[in-house]
Amino acid sequence: MIKRLLSSFLPFAFLGSVPSFAVDVGVLLKAQTDPAGAPFYPVVMQILQVLTFALHILFVYTSIGGLFVAVYGFTKKDENWQRLARATLELSKVSVSLAIVLGVAPLLFYQVIYDPLWYTSANLSASWYVMFIVFLLIGYYMIWIAYFKRQNSGVATLFSLLGVIFLLLVGFIIHVVNYQALYPEKWIEWYTSGGTTMNISGWNIYAFNLFRYLAFLVFPSASVTGIFLMLYSWYFREREDMDKNYLDWAGKVGAKLALYAGVPWLLSFLVYAFSTPADWNARGSIFTWLAILGLILCAGVVFAAQKNPAGMAIPSLIAGFVATLLIAVFREYLRVASTARFGYSIYEYKLNLEWLSPMLFLGTTLTGLILYAYAWWMAYKAGRTPKGKVYEASETEHHLGDASVFVVILWAVVFIGVGLIVIIRNYA
Amino acid sequence: MDVLGFYPMWYVPVIGSATIIGIIASLHVLASHTSVGASILLAYLATKAYKENLPQIYDYIKKYILTLLVFSYVSGSITGPGIWFSATVANPRGISALIHNFVWVWAAEWIWFVAEVTLVYILYYTLGKIDQRSWLRLAWTFAIGSWATMYIIVGILSFMLSPGHEKWFTTGNILDAFYNKNYFPHLLMRSAYMFAIAGTVGLAIASLMKKDLPERVYKDIVKTLSYWGIGGVVFGLMFFAWYYSTLPERSYVVIESVVPTYLKVSIMLIILVVLAHFLLTAIRPTAARAWVAVPIFVLIFFAGVYPEEKIRETIRKPYVAGEFVWVNQIIAREVPAKGIKSEVPIIDEKGLLQVNAFVPEGLKKITPENKIMAGKAIAILQCSGCHNVTGSTGLRPFGQKFKGMTDPEAVYNFLVSYMKNNPSHPPYMPKLVGTDEEIRALAAYIADLVSKGGSVSAKIEVPKATAEAMK
Repeated sequence: MIKRLLSSFLPFAFLGSVPSFAVDVGVLLKAQTDPAGAPFYPVVMQILQVLTFALHILFVYTSIGGLFVAVYGFTKKDENWQRLARATLELSKVSVSLAIVLGVAPLLFYQVIYDPLWYTSANLSASWYVMFIVFLLIGYYMIWIAYFKRQNSGVATLFSLLGVIFLLLVGFIIHVVNYQALYPEKWIEWYTSGGTTMNISGWNIYAFNLFRYLAFLVFPSASVTGIFLMLYSWYFREREDMDKNYLDWAGKVGAKLALYAGVPWLLSFLVYAFSTPADWNARGSIFTWLAILGLILCAGVVFAAQKNPAGMAIPSLIAGFVATLLIAVFREYLRVASTARFGYSIYEYKLNLEWLSPMLFLGTTLTGLILYAYAWWMAYKAGRTPKGKVYEASETEHHLGDASVFVVILWAVVFIGVGLIVIIRNYA
Repeated sequence: MDVLGFYPMWYVPVIGSATIIGIIASLHVLASHTSVGASILLAYLATKAYKENLPQIYDYIKKYILTLLVFSYVSGSITGPGIWFSATVANPRGISALIHNFVWVWAAEWIWFVAEVTLVYILYYTLGKIDQRSWLRLAWTFAIGSWATMYIIVGILSFMLSPGHEKWFTTGNILDAFYNKNYFPHLLMRSAYMFAIAGTVGLAIASLMKKDLPERVYKDIVKTLSYWGIGGVVFGLMFFAWYYSTLPERSYVVIESVVPTYLKVSIMLIILVVLAHFLLTAIRPTAARAWVAVPIFVLIFFAGVYPEEKIRETIRKPYVAGEFVWVNQIIAREVPAKGIKSEVPIIDEKGLLQVNAFVPEGLKKITPENKIMAGKAIAILQCSGCHNVTGSTGLRPFGQKFKGMTDPEAVYNFLVSYMKNNPSHPPYMPKLVGTDEEIRALAAYIADLVSKGGSVSAKIEVPKATAEAMK
């Protein structure tokens, strides 16, 4: 009883006020879980959510970081910088597409097990949540305009700058939604402005944490993009038509950027992690320390890469991804810790176990992996082929290509075939 | 106390949150149907280029893919999650019901999304850089993968309209929900029309490249697009007739009595315009002009896709998902297979304001001081999914619907006899729920709204006296 009372009280020591509402937060969270239940083990949803989030955020970082470099590079007269700015603008352009598409999966799995958190928080700032889409659309078109005008550095600077402003705004909105979700004890007070109204307009923003925003978005964008520049230097070295001096220089710029942005990344993370409410117990959690360890490891690898950025590009990428993944785990820990205060546990989510649709997902994933392997391999080979030349696929590559066409057609046949059988069975 | 799983309500005055979803969804449908249709058309043209040794066709394909990248893979790939985002705030419990039933199906669709997005870039960057056979394979996998996204989403869209069969409520089997009788006609109808949409875009691009292409190649491309377009329209109409025959009974009532005639006429007109355009370019390929094709494409949005989406949204009413979640987010029917209970009895017993945690304490108990505000809160919670409840313009506005009704008693009698205890209740509207006291508060609010000229502020304020009393 005392423990329960304390766990209800403590957060307000950090957020400022004590609620005076009749609804028990734990009861509310329980009531908000979808009555249909989860169709599969919540822990699987949780793991997939964290994994796919790490993939998604990696491309968010290169979208924003690519524009940081582009804005800076376009303002320099040096030809290397101009060239690098064009390359990172291209990186950003493709990354936004990948970030959007990869962002679907983590949100999907998240909404199955944390529906009370996400839907409430999104609805608290509903109009901003919809503006997320509008700003993303504007931001992405700014990037495309910058891309089409990349030979005119003045125009390209302006539109790259506008692009990054809109992307940071988009990041701000999603940050707010994620952050508000962690404080269920404040939701009713926020929405009713202390019991005086209902903020139905959706134009309210109730909580923002600068250090979390910097640690989870701004600094890693610069640092991870630095690692991608090292990778860029490594990948194009094989191309005889590419300028080696330029590639060496680009790799060094990347290594420096990764390191110099990595330091504030670590610092802002420390400030945020250690300023979270005490009853989330972030200080004592292994997940906090693993994330810190991941960041230090990443900084160490990048430090060692300063002399040979291209040679160390792959280890740096792995270290960067490990750090990102560990931070994704830490983010998940915060959700678990925050909601545990009110007796909410995803592991106790009502289960309506169902096997057919997970099998569909598994089958589609296997099909997709064969297709991805072929497509990405061909892209890899094409990218390393000098300008004006055509890459001729080997026999093995042709076989892999035939296999990918075959499995994709097989998937479609099975999908439609099952549908026909079910419909004949149910309606004939 | 009893709490149901409601979320903070979002209210968009005049146009309503449903219109926000409608605009985003229409943009997405236009962009996604263009890209899926184009993926198959381009794979076909690439095969033609390879087999007939017409490398100039690749120049056309490259331009088309760039158009797709700039239009479909920006607008389409952002408005896709955009539908989800807007539905999240307009109807969180509706989208949650779908996600909790179809999460793996959506996850499977995601695998194809990733394939689609990566392949479109790979196709663009590798054209002319890898051998033709390999590129052709990539083009066909892109085409089938893109189409697969439609295979999947159509099942969920069909379920939103209706599970199609009573069986699902007791089996809970995902196959019964997904492959309902509406599935194939719906899929085929969209698949046919997407060629007409992609063909229109294709004609605009071809006409802009007329000078850069040899005459034979140009004519070949235009004729191919025109034939596919004509086929798309003709088959689209046939599949539409089939689709129409699979709708649930209530949808026919909605189409006849609720859907405005101008929406139906506008769709038929744009179909005729598109067909006439393709017939012209099939007979005289040199007649293709961007300044004709582009406005037709824009018209497809305003006169075709938006009305279609609007009608599709309307014929689902009163439900928003699977014939068990109402448009006002109340779970209205039991689904024994999932252990889902109807919330109507508890709301009727306790009151809608009581069971919603996001209603301020000062409005939960109705008093003479807070009656109007409590009524406004009920209107927003229960009716704003389909009505502008604070004005006389826009989405089925209360100010117009209740015009002249300034007597609370008269409004109350109407609400009870028409919306609550009506044996021939309109099939497209949810039953009015809540306690008698709440319905009286709603009636008082509506009478007050009408007596103030039919328009009031959307702001909800707990009267100070009530707020003080609560403290």
